[in-house]
Amino acid sequence: MGLFDSIRAVFGSNAATEATKEADADDLFGMSTAYVTMEADLGFQSVDQAALCFSGVDSTDFADTVDEVQAILRAGEEETGTIFDVHEDSHGWEWVILQDTDPEDLVTTIHFAADQFIQRGYGSRLLSAVFGFSRDSDRAYWIYSFKRGAYYPFAPSTNNERNQQLEFKLESVLNGELAVEEDESYWYPMWPDTPRGHPWE
Amino acid sequence: MEWNTDWGLRGRMVLTMFLLFALYLVFVAVLVQTNSAVFLPLMGVFVLAQLFFSDKLALYSMGASTVTEQEYPEVHRMVERLSQQADLPKPEIAVADSRVPNAFATGRSQDSATVCVTTGLLRTLDSDELSGVLAHELAHVKNRDVMVMTIASFLSTVAFMIVRMGFWFGGGGQDRQGGSVLVAILASLVVWVISFFLIRALSRYREYAADRGAALITGQPSSLASALMKIDGRMDNVPREDLREQSEMNAFFIVPLKSDLIGKLFSTHPSTDNRIDRLRDLERELER
Repeated sequence: MGLFDSIRAVFGSNAATEATKEADADDLFGMSTAYVTMEADLGFQSVDQAALCFSGVDSTDFADTVDEVQAILRAGEEETGTIFDVHEDSHGWEWVILQDTDPEDLVTTIHFAADQFIQRGYGSRLLSAVFGFSRDSDRAYWIYSFKRGAYYPFAPSTNNERNQQLEFKLESVLNGELAVEEDESYWYPMWPDTPRGHPWE
Repeated sequence: MEWNTDWGLRGRMVLTMFLLFALYLVFVAVLVQTNSAVFLPLMGVFVLAQLFFSDKLALYSMGASTVTEQEYPEVHRMVERLSQQADLPKPEIAVADSRVPNAFATGRSQDSATVCVTTGLLRTLDSDELSGVLAHELAHVKNRDVMVMTIASFLSTVAFMIVRMGFWFGGGGQDRQGGSVLVAILASLVVWVISFFLIRALSRYREYAADRGAALITGQPSSLASALMKIDGRMDNVPREDLREQSEMNAFFIVPLKSDLIGKLFSTHPSTDNRIDRLRDLERELER
């Protein structure tokens, strides 16, 4: 707990400050090479999908921003062939879901969409970018937290438990290549709505 | 978009804390002068213990127990994502079986926090409103309100203890020190009364701050506002368990506790109307 943290706590403005903290997208691009390592060293292949998770703001300006992001993605669809979809899950969080067989395109498009939110001043509403991988029946995700500016692994097994062994392995192998969140209490799970589904489904 | 800083609220909070601090300085000076400062380390231990056990005590007294993801998946999901927005480790979640819709947060730090809701709250609110209330509790955790209020009320508690001991042993001190003990007791009484109102004021300001935090976390000030309206309406309909106790307390006051200046000064929470007004301001700010 830093000095500024303590001062803000005294003023009771810590919650407001953190909730509106700007997004940190600096280390997002580490994913492009991580896709290679995931396949070469661990045998995990891309599920050809990635998603951007954000929480809405009850304002016209925000709705306009989401429209704008969609317009830009539509234009990009022709260029890179990245198909997109926008939907709200049952918890009221919103997703931009991308589909592309080229991981490089997924990473760039995620960054592009995120940047659009940041430009419009809504970087603080970005929660995470989720990149999906699979190996036989195993599922694994690398989740980038825009609040913390770091990645963490999430490996859901059936019956809503985390495969901690696999998460540990992913962290050990990819740490260094990706900026990995050190404090494990910030490794929030992102459970899917449907069993065996992706977090964004 | 940029949110305006609520300087008015911050100013009042700082002023209140400054007054408390000044009052406590005088109090400590009097205690030292009258050789009564022996109480301080003793009480320090007591308050430290309180800080460590208050969370368990609060949960126990509400009959609440922590619940797993399997039991309340919805609440868990919601808290998970709200904590992500607030940049908090996910706190424990507890549920108390009570018809009165209510929620509170405990824990001295954000790593040991528990957010507790009643079954009445879960039944009464829809999911948007529930996220507003949960965000309010997470804002309390993030603002370290348990810690701040415990520290703020430390010397007030000491003063209260001295007054009480004064009543017990009052009149017994006929030795040379009798006079100065009397001074210490009188000073404690004054400090206790004044600090009581200052602490209550501070508590109300921190409620406003947590409301604000909740609105910024959910991005939807209206969800908490609507929850407050619903809870406030229901509170009057649901028979209160402590009704008898409260009417007895009311007998001590010339005017009933509700909805007047004295009631306001005594209460730990601002009135629902005032809170909703503030949230309305935030909602307006969103569209500017």
